[in-house]
Amino acid sequence: MRGTTTTLRRRLLPTAIACGIAAVTVPARAAAPATTEPSSDPPAGPDARFRDPGRRPWARCTDEVDPCMRPRPARVLLLSLGALGGGVAAGLLFALGDRLAPGDPATLLVGTGALAGAGALVGMAAGRLGADQAALSDRVRPSVASLDWTVAQPTNLDEREPHTLALRWAPTWRFADGSRVRLVGHFGGWPRPREQVDPRPQVQAADDGRDGTAPRSLSQRQLSASVGLDWAVNLPYPAVRRPDRSSFLGPADIRWRPTFEFRRDSYELGDASTPRTVERTMLLPLTAGARWYLSPRQRFTFYVGPRFDMIAYAEPGQDGLSRGRGVQLGPIYGEAWYDIDIPLTPGRRRDGQLRRADVNAMLTMGYVHSRFDGRGFNFGPVVGFLGPFHLGWITRVRPHGSKLAIQAGASARLGNGFSGTLDVGLVVPDFGPGGRRR
Amino acid sequence: MRRLGWLALSVSLSGSPGCVRPECADADYGDPECRVIAENELARLRTADGVEIRFADPREEDATTWEARGLLRESASEGVVARIAGPGDFALSLQRQAGDPGATFLRLDNVDQDATITVVDGGESLEVEAEGFVPSSRQLVFTLDDEVPLWVRGRIPCPGRYRIAALGDIQTNPTQFARIAEALSTERLRAAQLGEPLLALMIVGDLSEATRDEEFEALHDIIDRLPFPVMTTPGNHDVYRPTRPYYNLSFGPGTHEATLCNAKLVMLDTGSGAIATSVQARLPELFDRDEAEVLIVGMHHPVYPGQTGAGWSREDQAAHVMSELAIARADLVVAGHAHALHDFSGIDVGDVQLREIITGTGGATQGIADPRFGYVRITIDGGEMDTCFVEVPPPGYDGPTGDDLPNLPNCPASD
Repeated sequence: MRGTTTTLRRRLLPTAIACGIAAVTVPARAAAPATTEPSSDPPAGPDARFRDPGRRPWARCTDEVDPCMRPRPARVLLLSLGALGGGVAAGLLFALGDRLAPGDPATLLVGTGALAGAGALVGMAAGRLGADQAALSDRVRPSVASLDWTVAQPTNLDEREPHTLALRWAPTWRFADGSRVRLVGHFGGWPRPREQVDPRPQVQAADDGRDGTAPRSLSQRQLSASVGLDWAVNLPYPAVRRPDRSSFLGPADIRWRPTFEFRRDSYELGDASTPRTVERTMLLPLTAGARWYLSPRQRFTFYVGPRFDMIAYAEPGQDGLSRGRGVQLGPIYGEAWYDIDIPLTPGRRRDGQLRRADVNAMLTMGYVHSRFDGRGFNFGPVVGFLGPFHLGWITRVRPHGSKLAIQAGASARLGNGFSGTLDVGLVVPDFGPGGRRR
Repeated sequence: MRRLGWLALSVSLSGSPGCVRPECADADYGDPECRVIAENELARLRTADGVEIRFADPREEDATTWEARGLLRESASEGVVARIAGPGDFALSLQRQAGDPGATFLRLDNVDQDATITVVDGGESLEVEAEGFVPSSRQLVFTLDDEVPLWVRGRIPCPGRYRIAALGDIQTNPTQFARIAEALSTERLRAAQLGEPLLALMIVGDLSEATRDEEFEALHDIIDRLPFPVMTTPGNHDVYRPTRPYYNLSFGPGTHEATLCNAKLVMLDTGSGAIATSVQARLPELFDRDEAEVLIVGMHHPVYPGQTGAGWSREDQAAHVMSELAIARADLVVAGHAHALHDFSGIDVGDVQLREIITGTGGATQGIADPRFGYVRITIDGGEMDTCFVEVPPPGYDGPTGDDLPNLPNCPASD
């Protein structure tokens, strides 16, 4: 009992320090294990729940995972919550006829609910295909450093859509109790400017420097950066140990991710006007969230928080930026993600030899409730309410026994069109006592 | 070596321009850039008998170019119709390009009842008396003998103090909008007696629910009877059927400007939750006050949405627009999209504070609560501007249903 209390105190202490509050005394729970995320280890002793192949109820525990996780009811619950939340929010929007002043949380719920529902459905399909097994010991996590390349292709004559390059980082410090803090961020931008033309018929003119007749109207460059912390603390699981059969739906952790996002756009407008510089800053100091492990290999994560915007610009002919004093309370910020781990090298080779590398992948689906980067998902007359949806696949390759791994991925973003991103990154062990243990 | 070959191929493919064509070669009028092309094409017309008619800046003397300041169409039933897109002075050039000299019939729509029409032929100016079937329409007949351009110019009398009305989001309720239009006609008479005439109505989008011709025609039946010009821009409900530029074919440009006495009025087509990049490139030109003392910019999607959830799909463009509004020291942004009345005063952009009023109160459903329909009245007196809200409740309500907003009170009933 004493040992359990100590463990819980140690686990919550980093959070308490991070949040600037005093550590609280947590009442001791009966036999609650020091949980992190789902274990990849089989249970230590025989367990009747796993030994009865004839008894396979729909809401059964996942094989060989202790404590028990019940992916099927968990996914049905997520699907129901997603449908309910999204449906109620959409109903509220229609019932109130767009007149609700703080209507943004409702649109966030619509996007998040849609993602939760879609994730649960894909998760069900993956579960049917055998994904509900013990957690992967080396699942995909953010690379400690990676390079992103967003591919762009112009569709109009004499226009240029810039590729985007970004260096991302996410080194992780893991505490002994499994909690972790991650320094997240990126630095990047457009290596070449975006070029746009003016298609108005009255300004068309032949020019040797162009393939067509439309004059250049706008040239834009962008610099992009962000930095933040992503703090995750595991919640006890099971929260209450019941003497009878387990009815738990999976562990969870809570998160706090203060982030600072910055974009600097430089414009050349037409031929005559003075170049313009616009800086946009998005402050997300109170973004909090949670992750729900619906099965050992499936997770639903969401973040939500207020957003504060600052816009600075340079007056024509002046070098300095007019930054002003105030920040605007912007639309609410939110994210929702559904991740599915997929092992690509299960077991040994056919000849019985160990594989030279362990290869695992992750399918990720996401919704980001922010149009900060000019991406919004529109359909029909529903314009300007939703942020972009994401779909990605990331593969981790770790040479057998190596501390280093590489990750490569491809993702698509749906919002104001379609964009694809390729990334490659390096994985090193987490820092800190928990990282060394892992 | 083979791997290097694949790498070289991949790099060359990624850097190649691929299959590119001129903008809107495949027309998709959900794309704001295609609407820019449409609205500019529709501002000039070669008539069936060979006369080139073009809308121009009222100060323009050169007939070789044109601007999207109106809509021109010709039909067997109506002849040539020129719908002026905004209030204030206007100009059209007419020039015979082909065909035999002969009479050209021209109907001007959306003209102020008190405007004077002048025909300028070479060095001669002639003020013409012209009337139409409704106060905002005039019918003219010209004989164009040679290739010298003839100009039709309109001017309105400018008092020191005058009013502009603004609203958005009519959508499924043109009946309620007709009540608002009647209130506007009444105000026009009363305000003229007070020496501060109502000179224009700005409708900031969502004139229709489903981008259908019959919806636009029903709205024309209402606004064409108003004795002052109506300046419009599309909303998301006006442009989401992308097969034809329905809005532009009915109302003309979505992005346009007008100078009304000492006020510059600008409309931005944000119907797609963004503006065309060619419009983005022209923002300094559009927001240039020239000699105007007041700058009012209208758009459907609020450039600053607050927590309404109804903002631009491209926030990067919205931020650029806000910076240009700050550079131009815009006095007021009028928007719709949210079916409500909001007043955002003190939006910080650099060292400048902008003001935005959302007035999606033109008739569209406001849900289960008491609806608050009506329009924002903007009174301009020299370089000063005053705003209040005129509520036009639907039948059955005994009076206004909404309270004063901190900086936007209900207008006094006596005015």
